Amino acid sequence: MSLVLASFKDIFNVFPEAILAGLIMAIACSFLGVFVVLKRVVFIGATLSQVAACGITAALFYHVHPFLGAAIFTLVTVTILAYPIGKDRIPRDAIMGSIFILASGLSILIISKSGFGLKEVESLLYGNLILTSPKDLKIIILSILPVICLLILFLRPIIYTFVDREEAKVLGLKVVFWELFFFYALGIVVSASSKLGGMLLVFCYLVVPPTAALLLSNRFIWAWIISITMAVLATLSGFYFSYSQDLPANQIIAVISCLLLLLSFMGKILWS
Amino acid sequence: MVKIGEKTAIIRCENLSLGYGKEIVLKNVFLEIPQGIFLPFIGPNGAGKTTLLRGILGLLKPKKGYIHTPFRYKPAGYVSQQKSIDPLFPLTVREIVMMGFYPRLGWWKRPSKTDKKTLDEALEELKLTKYAHKNYRDLSGGTKQKTLIARALISGAEVFILDEPTSELDDLSQKEVLDHLLRFVLEQKKTVLIAHHGLDDLSLHASCVCIVNHGKVRIINADEVKRSISSEIK
Repeated sequence: MSLVLASFKDIFNVFPEAILAGLIMAIACSFLGVFVVLKRVVFIGATLSQVAACGITAALFYHVHPFLGAAIFTLVTVTILAYPIGKDRIPRDAIMGSIFILASGLSILIISKSGFGLKEVESLLYGNLILTSPKDLKIIILSILPVICLLILFLRPIIYTFVDREEAKVLGLKVVFWELFFFYALGIVVSASSKLGGMLLVFCYLVVPPTAALLLSNRFIWAWIISITMAVLATLSGFYFSYSQDLPANQIIAVISCLLLLLSFMGKILWS
Repeated sequence: MVKIGEKTAIIRCENLSLGYGKEIVLKNVFLEIPQGIFLPFIGPNGAGKTTLLRGILGLLKPKKGYIHTPFRYKPAGYVSQQKSIDPLFPLTVREIVMMGFYPRLGWWKRPSKTDKKTLDEALEELKLTKYAHKNYRDLSGGTKQKTLIARALISGAEVFILDEPTSELDDLSQKEVLDHLLRFVLEQKKTVLIAHHGLDDLSLHASCVCIVNHGKVRIINADEVKRSISSEIK
């Protein structure tokens, strides 16, 4: 145990920004993910992270700040998804899938014309938490923390809108506004996380810990506590194994998250 | 204009047409509903009862005409026909009923001791106390419906709009719920609009009934109801 703690101390000394950024991303995404899973819009996690990656690629190509590119692309996507195109005929997933394909294709096309090196391309496609710079951490803190604070502040109207849209409308809530508020917040968190987390890790944080949490809990508050705890645990142990076994951090965090989900499934089966 | 008595109208529909897409369900409805009335809306399936109530609530935009209601300032207490609550959300009966306080509590305010007492009383009246901390999704259809009724009742609304609120309840529970609603009208002078299939149970309590059929809306005196409705539906 003391060996593990000593290793953590070493890791924190070497990559303090990476660990802090990873933890903030883990907490924010696993908190928002509980709504994403409950709203049955899991694919929005993959779509927005892919769109953010495309935005980052375009930003680098045009020498603009990556966060700006990611934010513009994701917020435009959220606005398109909010517009009720063929709402009664086509499931939202079909539109999200089409946007995902467009973003994936466009990213590769921009990369092919950009002359980026292999390392840059890899980092763009998969992200790399270890490479977090103090500037990246600053962006993560300045963009994610205010958004999460606002969401916590307005949790009641958001929950009421999601739980019973019709009743919320009757109660006087501006349901379209609150839905957009949540999805724009999600867009900003995904934009800020995508450069370092890449599509895989952001999608993982949004889906895997919340799924395990909702499987194990019967209350909102417990779902959030379990989801965040699981994401933090996966992040810290991911950093440990990445450092000690020389493995890529993002991928190992994603794998550990899935193992925790598997354990939750098994625990649930054994329990019941 | 279909008018009930001489009391001041709390809800007024003028030349109202409602529908979905290109289909018009109700055409040129003129209706005045006075305060403190218990008004059942009767008619066959698909006649437009739900459409009219949704229009009054502001959930459906009129194709033509106007609806004047006080709901912008004081929201209605509403119980919908479908179970509109998403069962995936992990909320208890107490948390669902608490939603009814939203017009008073808004975004942040916490419920006061009086609010909590009102909530406990509503749960007690509808025999929901033992389910208070149970998850909504784990309840039977009838208990779910009672939860939605409790949510509407604690809202402090002046007007209650109930779209077949007793359809999932057994006979005994139906009677209990209807008695409770009637007490509301008589004691607190609340207005209750209730869509219902059957006649017998409701026409006993109401002074008049709103008949919705073939896109038309008519008010009939309760004494005439039983006699008129059978031919109306035919």
